[in-house]
Amino acid sequence: MLTVELCMGTSCHLMGVQDLVAVLETLPAEQREQIEIKGVTCFKNCGKGPNIRINGELISNATPDRLLEILQANLA
Amino acid sequence: MPEINEITKIRRKVLTEIAQMTFEGRLQTDVENILQSVVTDEGPRYRCCVHKERAVLQDRIKSALSQPMNSTIPEAAAAALDGNIAPAPIIQVLPVACDQCPLDRFIVTDACRNCLAHSCIASCPKKAISVVANRSFIDKSKCVECGLCKRSCPYGAILEISRPCERACELGAITADKARKAVIDYDQCVHCGACKIACPFGAISDRSMIVQVIQRIKAGRRVYALLAPAFIGQFGVQVRPGQVRASLLKVGFHDVLEVSVGADAVAVEEAREFIERTKTKGGLMTTSCCPAFVGMVEKHLPSMKENVSSLVSPMVAAAMNVKKNDPEGIVVFVGPCIAKKSEAERYPGIVDYVLTFEELATTIVGAGVNVTEMTASEFASAGSKDGNIFAKAGGVLQAVENVLAQLAPDVQVAAERCEGLGNCKKCLQEIEAGKRSANFFEGMACTGGCVGGPGVLTDSRVTAKLVENFANAAPEKSAVTNPNSEPLETLGLHRHHKTSGAADS
Ligand code: FES
Repeated sequence: MLTVELCMGTSCHLMGVQDLVAVLETLPAEQREQIEIKGVTCFKNCGKGPNIRINGELISNATPDRLLEILQANLA
Repeated sequence: MPEINEITKIRRKVLTEIAQMTFEGRLQTDVENILQSVVTDEGPRYRCCVHKERAVLQDRIKSALSQPMNSTIPEAAAAALDGNIAPAPIIQVLPVACDQCPLDRFIVTDACRNCLAHSCIASCPKKAISVVANRSFIDKSKCVECGLCKRSCPYGAILEISRPCERACELGAITADKARKAVIDYDQCVHCGACKIACPFGAISDRSMIVQVIQRIKAGRRVYALLAPAFIGQFGVQVRPGQVRASLLKVGFHDVLEVSVGADAVAVEEAREFIERTKTKGGLMTTSCCPAFVGMVEKHLPSMKENVSSLVSPMVAAAMNVKKNDPEGIVVFVGPCIAKKSEAERYPGIVDYVLTFEELATTIVGAGVNVTEMTASEFASAGSKDGNIFAKAGGVLQAVENVLAQLAPDVQVAAERCEGLGNCKKCLQEIEAGKRSANFFEGMACTGGCVGGPGVLTDSRVTAKLVENFANAAPEKSAVTNPNSEPLETLGLHRHHKTSGAADS
Protein backbone atom coordinates (compact mmCIF):
# COMPACT_ATOMS: atom_id res chain seq x y z
CA MET A 1 0.00 0.00 0.00
CA LEU A 2 1.27 3.40 -0.98
CA THR A 3 0.23 6.53 0.88
CA VAL A 4 0.18 9.63 -1.30
CA GLU A 5 -0.46 12.91 0.49
CA LEU A 6 -1.05 15.93 -1.70
CA CYS A 7 -0.82 19.52 -0.52
CA MET A 8 -4.02 21.30 -1.50
CA GLY A 9 -2.88 24.61 0.03
CA THR A 10 -3.20 27.82 -1.97
CA SER A 11 0.46 28.04 -2.86
CA CYS A 12 0.62 24.46 -4.11
CA HIS A 13 -2.70 24.97 -5.91
CA LEU A 14 -1.06 27.84 -7.80
CA MET A 15 1.85 25.58 -8.69
CA GLY A 16 -0.42 22.96 -10.18
CA VAL A 17 -1.21 20.28 -7.61
CA GLN A 18 -4.43 19.59 -9.52
CA ASP A 19 -2.36 18.15 -12.37
CA LEU A 20 -0.99 15.62 -9.89
CA VAL A 21 -4.49 14.80 -8.69
CA ALA A 22 -5.38 14.22 -12.35
CA VAL A 23 -2.54 11.71 -12.65
CA LEU A 24 -3.92 9.70 -9.73
CA GLU A 25 -7.45 9.87 -11.09
CA THR A 26 -6.45 8.43 -14.43
CA LEU A 27 -4.62 5.40 -13.03
CA PRO A 28 -6.13 2.03 -13.87
CA ALA A 29 -8.40 0.72 -11.11
CA GLU A 30 -6.05 -2.04 -9.99
CA GLN A 31 -3.32 0.53 -9.34
CA ARG A 32 -5.70 3.03 -7.75
CA GLU A 33 -6.66 0.38 -5.22
CA GLN A 34 -3.08 0.16 -4.03
CA ILE A 35 -2.92 3.83 -3.14
CA GLU A 36 -4.28 5.69 -0.19
CA ILE A 37 -4.78 9.33 -1.20
CA LYS A 38 -4.90 12.10 1.38
CA GLY A 39 -5.23 15.85 1.12
CA VAL A 40 -3.07 18.09 3.31
CA THR A 41 -3.48 21.84 3.73
CA CYS A 42 0.22 22.77 3.96
CA PHE A 43 3.56 21.02 4.30
CA LYS A 44 5.19 24.29 5.36
CA ASN A 45 7.33 24.14 2.25
CA CYS A 46 5.25 26.52 0.16
CA GLY A 47 7.97 28.10 -1.97
CA LYS A 48 8.82 24.73 -3.50
CA GLY A 49 5.38 23.53 -4.54
CA PRO A 50 3.63 21.54 -5.53
CA ASN A 51 4.55 19.37 -2.57
CA ILE A 52 3.50 15.77 -2.11
CA ARG A 53 4.51 13.09 0.36
CA ILE A 54 4.77 9.49 -0.66
CA ASN A 55 5.12 6.96 2.14
CA GLY A 56 6.47 9.68 4.37
CA GLU A 57 8.96 11.13 1.91
CA LEU A 58 8.40 14.74 0.89
CA ILE A 59 8.75 15.50 -2.79
CA SER A 60 8.98 19.16 -3.75
CA ASN A 61 8.49 20.74 -7.16
CA ALA A 62 6.58 17.61 -8.07
CA THR A 63 5.54 17.16 -11.68
CA PRO A 64 3.07 14.70 -13.23
CA ASP A 65 5.98 12.87 -14.88
CA ARG A 66 7.93 12.52 -11.64
CA LEU A 67 4.84 11.28 -9.80
CA LEU A 68 4.11 8.70 -12.49
CA GLU A 69 7.70 7.51 -12.36
CA ILE A 70 7.52 6.96 -8.61
CA LEU A 71 4.16 5.26 -8.85
CA GLN A 72 5.27 2.90 -11.59
CA ALA A 73 8.36 2.00 -9.59
CA ASN A 74 6.31 1.22 -6.49
CA LEU A 75 3.09 -0.28 -7.77
CA ALA A 76 2.50 -3.80 -8.91
CA MET B 1 -7.29 24.80 -19.00
CA PRO B 2 -4.05 23.13 -19.99
CA GLU B 3 -1.60 21.74 -17.46
CA ILE B 4 0.21 24.23 -15.30
CA ASN B 5 3.34 24.58 -17.39
CA GLU B 6 6.70 26.11 -16.50
CA ILE B 7 5.75 29.47 -17.98
CA THR B 8 2.69 29.65 -15.75
CA LYS B 9 4.74 28.68 -12.70
CA ILE B 10 7.34 31.36 -13.37
CA ARG B 11 4.65 34.00 -13.81
CA ARG B 12 2.96 32.97 -10.58
CA LYS B 13 6.24 32.87 -8.66
CA VAL B 14 7.06 36.39 -9.78
CA LEU B 15 3.64 37.69 -8.76
CA THR B 16 3.76 35.89 -5.41
CA GLU B 17 7.21 37.22 -4.55
CA ILE B 18 6.21 40.75 -5.52
CA ALA B 19 3.05 40.49 -3.41
CA GLN B 20 4.93 39.12 -0.42
CA MET B 21 7.62 41.82 -0.61
CA THR B 22 4.96 44.50 -0.89
CA PHE B 23 3.09 43.23 2.16
CA GLU B 24 6.33 43.03 4.11
CA GLY B 25 7.39 46.52 3.04
CA ARG B 26 10.60 45.43 1.33
CA LEU B 27 9.74 45.55 -2.36
CA GLN B 28 11.95 48.58 -2.98
CA THR B 29 15.03 47.07 -1.41
CA ASP B 30 14.55 43.44 -2.42
CA VAL B 31 12.81 43.45 -5.78
CA GLU B 32 15.95 42.56 -7.69
CA ASN B 33 16.35 39.41 -5.61
CA ILE B 34 13.55 37.95 -7.71
CA LEU B 35 16.01 37.78 -10.58
CA GLN B 36 18.06 35.28 -8.57
CA SER B 37 15.27 33.37 -6.84
CA VAL B 38 13.08 32.69 -9.86
CA VAL B 39 15.88 32.07 -12.33
CA THR B 40 18.45 30.13 -10.34
CA ASP B 41 22.00 29.57 -11.54
CA GLU B 42 21.46 25.80 -11.43
CA GLY B 43 18.58 25.92 -13.87
CA PRO B 44 16.51 24.43 -15.34
CA ARG B 45 17.29 26.45 -18.47
CA TYR B 46 14.62 27.39 -20.94
CA ARG B 47 16.62 29.91 -22.89
CA CYS B 48 20.13 30.02 -24.26
CA CYS B 49 21.63 31.23 -21.01
CA VAL B 50 20.90 32.54 -17.58
CA HIS B 51 21.45 36.13 -18.78
CA LYS B 52 18.74 35.92 -21.39
CA GLU B 53 16.40 34.39 -18.85
CA ARG B 54 17.03 37.21 -16.40
CA ALA B 55 16.54 39.78 -19.13
CA VAL B 56 13.14 38.25 -19.88
CA LEU B 57 12.38 38.16 -16.19
CA GLN B 58 13.07 41.88 -15.90
CA ASP B 59 10.33 42.50 -18.46
CA ARG B 60 7.99 40.20 -16.59
CA ILE B 61 8.59 42.10 -13.37
CA LYS B 62 7.91 45.46 -15.03
CA SER B 63 4.70 44.10 -16.53
CA ALA B 64 3.70 42.72 -13.12
CA LEU B 65 4.25 46.21 -11.69
CA SER B 66 2.35 47.93 -14.55
CA GLN B 67 5.42 49.97 -15.44
CA PRO B 68 7.03 50.85 -18.78
CA MET B 69 9.57 48.49 -20.31
CA ASN B 70 12.21 51.22 -20.51
CA SER B 71 12.27 51.80 -16.76
CA THR B 72 14.76 50.13 -14.44
CA ILE B 73 13.51 47.58 -11.91
CA PRO B 74 14.05 49.90 -8.89
CA GLU B 75 12.29 52.75 -10.72
CA ALA B 76 9.44 50.43 -11.61
CA ALA B 77 9.09 49.27 -8.01
CA ALA B 78 9.08 52.84 -6.70
CA ALA B 79 6.42 53.93 -9.17
CA ALA B 80 4.20 50.94 -8.42
CA LEU B 81 4.54 51.50 -4.67
CA ASP B 82 3.41 55.08 -5.26
CA GLY B 83 0.30 53.66 -6.90
CA ASN B 84 1.21 54.64 -10.45
CA ILE B 85 0.06 52.67 -13.44
CA ALA B 86 1.86 53.42 -16.67
CA PRO B 87 -0.39 54.27 -19.61
CA ALA B 88 0.41 51.18 -21.66
CA PRO B 89 -1.76 48.57 -23.35
CA ILE B 90 -3.20 45.91 -21.05
CA ILE B 91 -1.62 43.15 -23.12
CA GLN B 92 1.87 43.48 -24.52
CA VAL B 93 4.50 41.41 -26.23
CA LEU B 94 7.51 41.40 -23.92
CA PRO B 95 10.27 42.63 -26.20
CA VAL B 96 13.08 40.31 -25.12
CA ALA B 97 10.87 37.30 -24.52
CA CYS B 98 9.43 36.88 -28.01
CA ASP B 99 11.51 34.16 -29.62
CA GLN B 100 10.83 35.45 -33.14
CA CYS B 101 9.59 31.96 -34.01
CA PRO B 102 11.38 31.39 -37.32
CA LEU B 103 8.56 29.67 -39.06
CA ASP B 104 8.12 29.16 -42.75
CA ARG B 105 4.43 29.13 -43.27
CA PHE B 106 4.35 26.27 -45.80
CA ILE B 107 6.70 23.34 -45.83
CA VAL B 108 6.88 20.30 -48.05
CA THR B 109 6.99 17.14 -45.97
CA ASP B 110 8.39 13.66 -46.64
CA ALA B 111 4.97 12.70 -47.90
CA CYS B 112 5.79 14.40 -51.21
CA ARG B 113 6.06 11.69 -53.89
CA ASN B 114 7.35 13.89 -56.69
CA CYS B 115 4.28 12.80 -58.57
CA LEU B 116 3.72 13.35 -62.26
CA ALA B 117 0.79 15.66 -61.83
CA HIS B 118 2.77 18.31 -59.97
CA SER B 119 -0.38 20.10 -58.95
CA CYS B 120 1.63 22.23 -56.57
CA ILE B 121 3.85 23.62 -59.29
CA ALA B 122 0.85 24.23 -61.48
CA SER B 123 -1.07 25.91 -58.68
CA CYS B 124 1.63 28.37 -57.67
CA PRO B 125 0.92 31.84 -59.07
CA LYS B 126 4.46 33.00 -58.26
CA LYS B 127 6.36 30.09 -59.80
CA ALA B 128 7.98 29.55 -56.42
CA ILE B 129 7.91 25.74 -56.56
CA SER B 130 10.35 23.52 -58.40
CA VAL B 131 11.57 19.95 -57.97
CA VAL B 132 14.81 19.66 -56.06
CA ALA B 133 16.25 16.32 -54.92
CA ASN B 134 13.21 14.41 -56.06
CA ARG B 135 10.77 16.49 -54.08
CA SER B 136 8.92 19.76 -54.43
CA PHE B 137 10.82 22.71 -53.11
CA ILE B 138 9.36 26.10 -52.16
CA ASP B 139 11.59 29.06 -52.89
CA LYS B 140 10.99 31.30 -49.87
CA SER B 141 12.12 34.39 -51.68
CA LYS B 142 9.23 34.02 -54.13
CA CYS B 143 6.55 32.47 -51.90
CA VAL B 144 3.76 34.84 -50.88
CA GLU B 145 2.16 32.29 -48.52
CA CYS B 146 -1.11 32.09 -50.47
CA GLY B 147 -1.62 28.42 -49.62
CA LEU B 148 -2.77 27.29 -53.08
CA CYS B 149 -0.09 24.57 -53.21
CA LYS B 150 -1.26 23.11 -49.95
CA ARG B 151 -4.81 22.87 -51.22
CA SER B 152 -3.75 21.43 -54.55
CA CYS B 153 -1.63 18.54 -53.27
CA PRO B 154 -3.54 15.25 -53.52
CA TYR B 155 -1.35 13.73 -50.80
CA GLY B 156 -1.75 16.56 -48.35
CA ALA B 157 2.04 16.64 -48.31
CA ILE B 158 2.36 20.37 -47.81
CA LEU B 159 2.00 21.50 -44.27
CA GLU B 160 0.91 24.86 -43.00
CA ILE B 161 2.54 25.96 -39.79
CA SER B 162 1.51 29.03 -37.91
CA ARG B 163 2.74 30.64 -34.76
CA PRO B 164 0.79 29.74 -31.65
CA CYS B 165 -0.05 33.38 -30.97
CA GLU B 166 -1.34 34.00 -34.49
CA ARG B 167 -3.36 30.84 -34.42
CA ALA B 168 -4.85 31.67 -31.03
CA CYS B 169 -6.05 35.11 -32.11
CA GLU B 170 -9.32 34.65 -33.88
CA LEU B 171 -9.38 38.31 -34.87
CA GLY B 172 -6.04 38.40 -36.68
CA ALA B 173 -4.73 41.04 -34.30
CA ILE B 174 -1.27 39.58 -33.79
CA THR B 175 1.23 39.07 -36.59
CA ALA B 176 4.98 38.91 -37.07
CA ASP B 177 6.89 41.99 -38.12
CA LYS B 178 9.85 41.94 -40.50
CA ALA B 179 12.19 40.87 -37.72
CA ARG B 180 9.74 38.01 -36.97
CA LYS B 181 8.77 39.50 -33.60
CA ALA B 182 5.11 39.28 -32.70
CA VAL B 183 3.30 42.60 -32.87
CA ILE B 184 -0.19 43.33 -31.62
CA ASP B 185 -2.39 45.61 -33.69
CA TYR B 186 -4.33 47.43 -31.02
CA ASP B 187 -6.94 48.60 -33.51
CA GLN B 188 -7.92 44.93 -33.84
CA CYS B 189 -7.10 43.58 -30.37
CA VAL B 190 -9.86 43.24 -27.77
CA HIS B 191 -7.61 42.00 -24.93
CA CYS B 192 -9.19 38.56 -24.69
CA GLY B 193 -5.87 37.04 -23.60
CA ALA B 194 -5.88 34.05 -25.96
CA CYS B 195 -2.38 34.84 -27.29
CA LYS B 196 -0.97 35.08 -23.78
CA ILE B 197 -2.19 31.60 -22.96
CA ALA B 198 -0.99 30.22 -26.29
CA CYS B 199 2.60 31.51 -26.39
CA PRO B 200 4.96 28.70 -25.32
CA PHE B 201 7.64 31.26 -24.47
CA GLY B 202 5.41 33.27 -22.17
CA ALA B 203 6.26 36.29 -24.25
CA ILE B 204 2.87 37.92 -24.00
CA SER B 205 1.87 39.43 -20.73
CA ASP B 206 -1.00 41.39 -19.24
CA ARG B 207 -0.04 43.99 -16.72
CA SER B 208 -0.95 43.53 -13.13
CA MET B 209 -2.01 45.93 -10.39
CA ILE B 210 -1.36 43.78 -7.35
CA VAL B 211 1.16 46.17 -5.80
CA GLN B 212 -1.13 49.15 -6.25
CA VAL B 213 -4.00 47.23 -4.61
CA ILE B 214 -1.85 45.98 -1.72
CA GLN B 215 -0.61 49.53 -1.08
CA ARG B 216 -4.19 50.76 -0.81
CA ILE B 217 -4.96 48.01 1.66
CA LYS B 218 -1.85 48.82 3.68
CA ALA B 219 -2.74 52.51 3.69
CA GLY B 220 -5.90 51.56 5.56
CA ARG B 221 -8.34 52.40 2.78
CA ARG B 222 -11.63 50.55 2.59
CA VAL B 223 -10.84 48.20 -0.28
CA TYR B 224 -13.73 46.07 -1.55
CA ALA B 225 -13.18 42.80 -3.39
CA LEU B 226 -15.91 42.20 -5.94
CA LEU B 227 -15.85 38.54 -6.89
CA ALA B 228 -17.06 37.52 -10.34
CA PRO B 229 -19.49 34.59 -10.15
CA ALA B 230 -16.81 32.34 -11.70
CA PHE B 231 -14.90 32.40 -8.39
CA ILE B 232 -16.46 29.15 -7.24
CA GLY B 233 -13.81 26.42 -7.15
CA GLN B 234 -10.96 28.65 -8.32
CA PHE B 235 -8.90 28.27 -5.16
CA GLY B 236 -9.37 24.51 -5.02
CA VAL B 237 -12.31 22.27 -5.79
CA GLN B 238 -12.88 21.57 -2.10
CA VAL B 239 -12.57 25.18 -1.01
CA ARG B 240 -15.80 26.68 0.26
CA PRO B 241 -16.90 30.21 -0.66
CA GLY B 242 -16.87 31.15 3.02
CA GLN B 243 -13.16 30.29 3.17
CA VAL B 244 -12.45 32.62 0.26
CA ARG B 245 -14.31 35.38 1.99
CA ALA B 246 -12.49 34.78 5.28
CA SER B 247 -9.13 34.76 3.47
CA LEU B 248 -9.76 38.08 1.78
CA LEU B 249 -10.82 39.71 5.03
CA LYS B 250 -7.63 38.40 6.61
CA VAL B 251 -5.58 39.79 3.73
CA GLY B 252 -7.07 43.16 4.62
CA PHE B 253 -9.97 43.72 2.26
CA HIS B 254 -12.71 45.73 3.93
CA ASP B 255 -15.52 43.64 2.48
CA VAL B 256 -16.10 40.88 -0.04
CA LEU B 257 -19.06 41.23 -2.39
CA GLU B 258 -20.43 39.23 -5.28
CA VAL B 259 -20.75 40.55 -8.81
CA SER B 260 -23.68 38.18 -9.27
CA VAL B 261 -25.81 40.86 -7.61
CA GLY B 262 -24.85 43.23 -10.43
CA ALA B 263 -25.57 40.43 -12.88
CA ASP B 264 -29.10 40.19 -11.49
CA ALA B 265 -29.62 43.88 -12.17
CA VAL B 266 -28.26 43.45 -15.68
CA ALA B 267 -30.41 40.41 -16.44
CA VAL B 268 -33.57 42.27 -15.49
CA GLU B 269 -32.67 45.42 -17.36
CA GLU B 270 -31.45 43.52 -20.41
CA ALA B 271 -34.79 41.72 -20.56
CA ARG B 272 -36.58 45.06 -20.30
CA GLU B 273 -34.51 46.52 -23.09
CA PHE B 274 -35.26 43.46 -25.21
CA ILE B 275 -38.99 43.85 -24.62
CA GLU B 276 -38.70 47.51 -25.55
CA ARG B 277 -36.81 46.69 -28.74
CA THR B 278 -39.32 44.06 -29.84
CA LYS B 279 -42.05 46.70 -29.44
CA THR B 280 -40.18 49.35 -31.40
CA LYS B 281 -37.42 48.63 -33.87
CA GLY B 282 -37.25 44.84 -33.54
CA GLY B 283 -34.23 43.08 -34.95
CA LEU B 284 -31.33 41.61 -33.05
CA MET B 285 -30.08 42.43 -29.58
CA THR B 286 -26.87 40.97 -28.16
CA THR B 287 -25.61 40.68 -24.62
CA SER B 288 -23.03 43.19 -23.40
CA CYS B 289 -21.47 41.57 -20.33
CA CYS B 290 -18.38 40.13 -22.05
CA PRO B 291 -16.01 43.03 -22.78
CA ALA B 292 -14.00 41.14 -25.39
CA PHE B 293 -17.20 40.31 -27.25
CA VAL B 294 -18.36 43.93 -27.11
CA GLY B 295 -14.88 45.01 -28.26
CA MET B 296 -15.06 42.57 -31.17
CA VAL B 297 -18.35 44.03 -32.34
CA GLU B 298 -17.06 47.60 -31.98
CA LYS B 299 -13.80 46.93 -33.81
CA HIS B 300 -14.73 44.24 -36.30
CA LEU B 301 -18.46 44.59 -36.94
CA PRO B 302 -19.05 48.31 -36.43
CA SER B 303 -22.27 48.17 -38.43
CA MET B 304 -23.73 46.03 -35.64
CA LYS B 305 -22.75 48.26 -32.72
CA GLU B 306 -26.33 49.32 -32.17
CA ASN B 307 -27.36 45.70 -31.77
CA VAL B 308 -25.34 45.36 -28.57
CA SER B 309 -27.50 45.95 -25.52
CA SER B 310 -26.89 49.38 -24.04
CA LEU B 311 -26.27 48.03 -20.55
CA VAL B 312 -23.12 48.23 -18.52
CA SER B 313 -21.63 44.92 -17.44
CA PRO B 314 -22.36 43.24 -14.10
CA MET B 315 -18.89 44.37 -12.96
CA VAL B 316 -19.76 48.01 -13.50
CA ALA B 317 -23.24 47.64 -12.01
CA ALA B 318 -21.83 46.01 -8.89
CA ALA B 319 -19.09 48.62 -8.62
CA MET B 320 -21.59 51.49 -8.93
CA ASN B 321 -23.52 49.96 -6.11
CA VAL B 322 -20.46 49.98 -3.86
CA LYS B 323 -19.57 53.57 -4.75
CA LYS B 324 -23.11 54.67 -4.04
CA ASN B 325 -22.90 53.31 -0.51
CA ASP B 326 -19.26 54.21 0.09
CA PRO B 327 -17.95 56.91 -2.26
CA GLU B 328 -14.52 56.72 -0.62
CA GLY B 329 -14.29 52.96 -1.00
CA ILE B 330 -11.84 51.38 -3.43
CA VAL B 331 -13.34 48.81 -5.79
CA VAL B 332 -11.26 45.84 -6.92
CA PHE B 333 -12.98 43.54 -9.38
CA VAL B 334 -11.64 40.00 -9.27
CA GLY B 335 -12.42 37.66 -12.14
CA PRO B 336 -11.22 35.27 -14.78
CA CYS B 337 -10.85 37.98 -17.36
CA ILE B 338 -8.10 40.14 -18.82
CA ALA B 339 -10.42 42.18 -21.04
CA LYS B 340 -12.09 43.48 -17.87
CA LYS B 341 -8.86 45.39 -17.17
CA SER B 342 -9.39 47.28 -20.34
CA GLU B 343 -13.13 47.70 -19.74
CA ALA B 344 -12.43 49.16 -16.29
CA GLU B 345 -10.34 51.92 -17.87
CA ARG B 346 -13.55 53.23 -19.39
CA TYR B 347 -15.01 53.63 -15.92
CA PRO B 348 -12.46 55.61 -13.94
CA GLY B 349 -13.60 56.21 -10.38
CA ILE B 350 -16.03 53.31 -10.54
CA VAL B 351 -13.91 50.22 -11.04
CA ASP B 352 -10.57 51.18 -9.51
CA TYR B 353 -8.61 47.97 -10.10
CA VAL B 354 -9.04 44.63 -11.80
CA LEU B 355 -7.28 41.46 -10.71
CA THR B 356 -7.51 37.98 -12.18
CA PHE B 357 -8.12 35.00 -9.93
CA GLU B 358 -4.49 34.13 -10.52
CA GLU B 359 -3.35 37.55 -9.33
CA LEU B 360 -5.65 37.41 -6.32
CA ALA B 361 -4.33 33.98 -5.32
CA THR B 362 -0.73 35.20 -5.51
CA THR B 363 -1.75 38.17 -3.37
CA ILE B 364 -3.33 35.85 -0.81
CA VAL B 365 -0.22 33.67 -0.70
CA GLY B 366 1.97 36.79 -0.55
CA ALA B 367 0.04 37.88 2.53
CA GLY B 368 0.88 34.56 4.16
CA VAL B 369 -2.72 33.34 4.01
CA ASN B 370 -3.72 29.84 2.97
CA VAL B 371 -7.36 29.58 1.90
CA THR B 372 -7.58 25.89 2.80
CA GLU B 373 -6.62 26.62 6.41
CA MET B 374 -9.34 29.22 6.98
CA THR B 375 -12.52 28.36 8.85
CA ALA B 376 -15.44 28.96 6.57
CA SER B 377 -17.94 31.52 7.71
CA GLU B 378 -21.56 31.16 6.63
CA PHE B 379 -21.85 32.01 2.98
CA ALA B 380 -25.10 32.22 1.10
CA SER B 381 -24.94 33.94 -2.25
CA ALA B 382 -26.44 37.42 -2.33
CA GLY B 383 -26.97 36.98 -6.04
CA SER B 384 -29.86 34.94 -7.35
CA LYS B 385 -29.61 31.77 -9.36
CA ASP B 386 -29.89 33.93 -12.50
CA GLY B 387 -26.99 36.20 -11.61
CA ASN B 388 -24.72 33.33 -10.61
CA ILE B 389 -25.23 31.38 -13.80
CA PHE B 390 -23.71 34.26 -15.84
CA ALA B 391 -20.32 32.64 -15.26
CA LYS B 392 -20.88 29.80 -17.69
CA ALA B 393 -21.63 29.85 -21.37
CA GLY B 394 -25.35 29.92 -22.00
CA GLY B 395 -26.01 31.31 -18.55
CA VAL B 396 -26.72 34.89 -19.51
CA LEU B 397 -29.19 33.73 -22.10
CA GLN B 398 -30.80 31.45 -19.55
CA ALA B 399 -31.06 34.28 -17.01
CA VAL B 400 -32.60 36.70 -19.51
CA GLU B 401 -35.06 34.03 -20.65
CA ASN B 402 -36.02 33.40 -17.03
CA VAL B 403 -36.65 37.08 -16.49
CA LEU B 404 -38.63 37.38 -19.72
CA ALA B 405 -40.80 34.44 -18.72
CA GLN B 406 -41.82 36.47 -15.68
CA LEU B 407 -42.02 39.96 -17.12
CA ALA B 408 -43.34 39.32 -20.60
CA PRO B 409 -44.24 35.69 -21.24
CA ASP B 410 -45.66 36.50 -24.68
CA VAL B 411 -42.46 37.94 -26.11
CA GLN B 412 -40.94 35.52 -28.58
CA VAL B 413 -37.25 34.80 -28.15
CA ALA B 414 -35.31 33.32 -31.04
CA ALA B 415 -31.91 32.98 -29.46
CA GLU B 416 -28.48 32.04 -30.71
CA ARG B 417 -25.31 31.88 -28.69
CA CYS B 418 -21.64 31.37 -29.43
CA GLU B 419 -18.38 30.84 -27.60
CA GLY B 420 -15.11 32.08 -29.07
CA LEU B 421 -14.65 35.40 -30.82
CA GLY B 422 -14.28 33.84 -34.26
CA ASN B 423 -17.52 31.92 -33.85
CA CYS B 424 -19.34 34.96 -32.50
CA LYS B 425 -18.16 37.09 -35.41
CA LYS B 426 -19.15 34.52 -38.01
CA CYS B 427 -22.56 33.95 -36.50
CA LEU B 428 -23.32 37.66 -36.22
CA GLN B 429 -22.30 38.19 -39.83
CA GLU B 430 -24.67 35.45 -40.88
CA ILE B 431 -27.48 36.98 -38.89
CA GLU B 432 -26.77 40.37 -40.41
CA ALA B 433 -26.74 38.84 -43.89
CA GLY B 434 -30.09 37.18 -43.20
CA LYS B 435 -28.69 33.66 -43.40
CA ARG B 436 -29.74 32.97 -39.85
CA SER B 437 -32.58 34.47 -37.96
CA ALA B 438 -32.34 35.42 -34.33
CA ASN B 439 -33.51 38.30 -32.20
CA PHE B 440 -31.30 37.59 -29.20
CA PHE B 441 -27.62 36.65 -29.11
CA GLU B 442 -25.32 35.71 -26.25
CA GLY B 443 -21.67 36.33 -27.07
CA MET B 444 -18.82 34.88 -25.02
CA ALA B 445 -15.21 35.37 -26.03
CA CYS B 446 -13.94 32.39 -24.06
CA THR B 447 -14.81 28.77 -24.60
CA GLY B 448 -17.08 27.70 -21.77
CA GLY B 449 -17.85 31.32 -20.92
CA CYS B 450 -16.18 33.17 -18.04
CA VAL B 451 -15.11 29.94 -16.30
CA GLY B 452 -12.88 29.35 -19.33
CA GLY B 453 -11.19 32.74 -19.07
CA PRO B 454 -7.42 33.33 -19.21
CA GLY B 455 -7.18 34.25 -15.52
CA VAL B 456 -8.68 31.11 -13.99
CA LEU B 457 -6.98 28.61 -11.68
CA THR B 458 -9.15 25.54 -12.12
CA ASP B 459 -10.22 23.60 -15.19
CA SER B 460 -13.45 24.97 -16.61
CA ARG B 461 -14.97 21.53 -17.03
CA VAL B 462 -14.91 21.25 -13.24
CA THR B 463 -15.85 24.81 -12.38
CA ALA B 464 -18.76 24.97 -14.84
CA LYS B 465 -20.42 22.25 -12.80
CA LEU B 466 -19.52 23.88 -9.47
CA VAL B 467 -20.93 27.22 -10.64
CA GLU B 468 -24.15 25.51 -11.61
CA ASN B 469 -24.46 23.82 -8.22
CA PHE B 470 -23.75 27.08 -6.42
CA ALA B 471 -26.35 28.88 -8.55
CA ASN B 472 -28.93 26.22 -7.81
CA ALA B 473 -28.21 26.54 -4.10
CA ALA B 474 -28.66 30.33 -4.07
CA PRO B 475 -31.46 31.28 -1.67
CA GLU B 476 -32.85 33.77 -4.18
CA LYS B 477 -34.24 32.01 -7.20
CA SER B 478 -34.86 34.93 -9.51
CA ALA B 479 -33.15 38.15 -10.52
CA VAL B 480 -36.54 39.84 -10.67
CA THR B 481 -37.38 39.27 -7.03
CA ASN B 482 -33.89 39.40 -5.49
CA PRO B 483 -34.08 42.06 -2.75
CA ASN B 484 -30.26 42.32 -2.66
CA SER B 485 -30.14 43.61 -6.18
CA GLU B 486 -30.19 47.39 -6.36
CA PRO B 487 -33.14 48.99 -8.20
CA LEU B 488 -31.73 49.91 -11.57
CA GLU B 489 -33.13 53.36 -11.93
CA THR B 490 -30.89 54.51 -9.13
CA LEU B 491 -27.71 53.33 -10.78
CA GLY B 492 -27.77 54.65 -14.33
CA LEU B 493 -26.96 51.37 -15.94
CA HIS B 494 -26.70 52.33 -19.55
CA ARG B 495 -23.31 52.48 -21.17
CA HIS B 496 -24.15 55.49 -23.25
CA HIS B 497 -25.33 57.48 -20.28
CA LYS B 498 -22.82 59.69 -18.58
CA THR B 499 -22.64 58.63 -14.97
CA SER B 500 -22.25 61.32 -12.42
CA GLY B 501 -22.46 62.11 -8.74
CA ALA B 502 -21.20 59.54 -6.29
CA ALA B 503 -19.42 57.60 -8.98
CA ASP B 504 -16.97 60.39 -9.67
CA SER B 505 -15.30 60.42 -6.29
S1 FES C 1 0.70 25.29 0.52
FE1 FES C 1 1.69 23.46 -0.07
S2 FES C 1 3.38 23.47 1.26
FE2 FES C 1 2.33 25.21 1.92
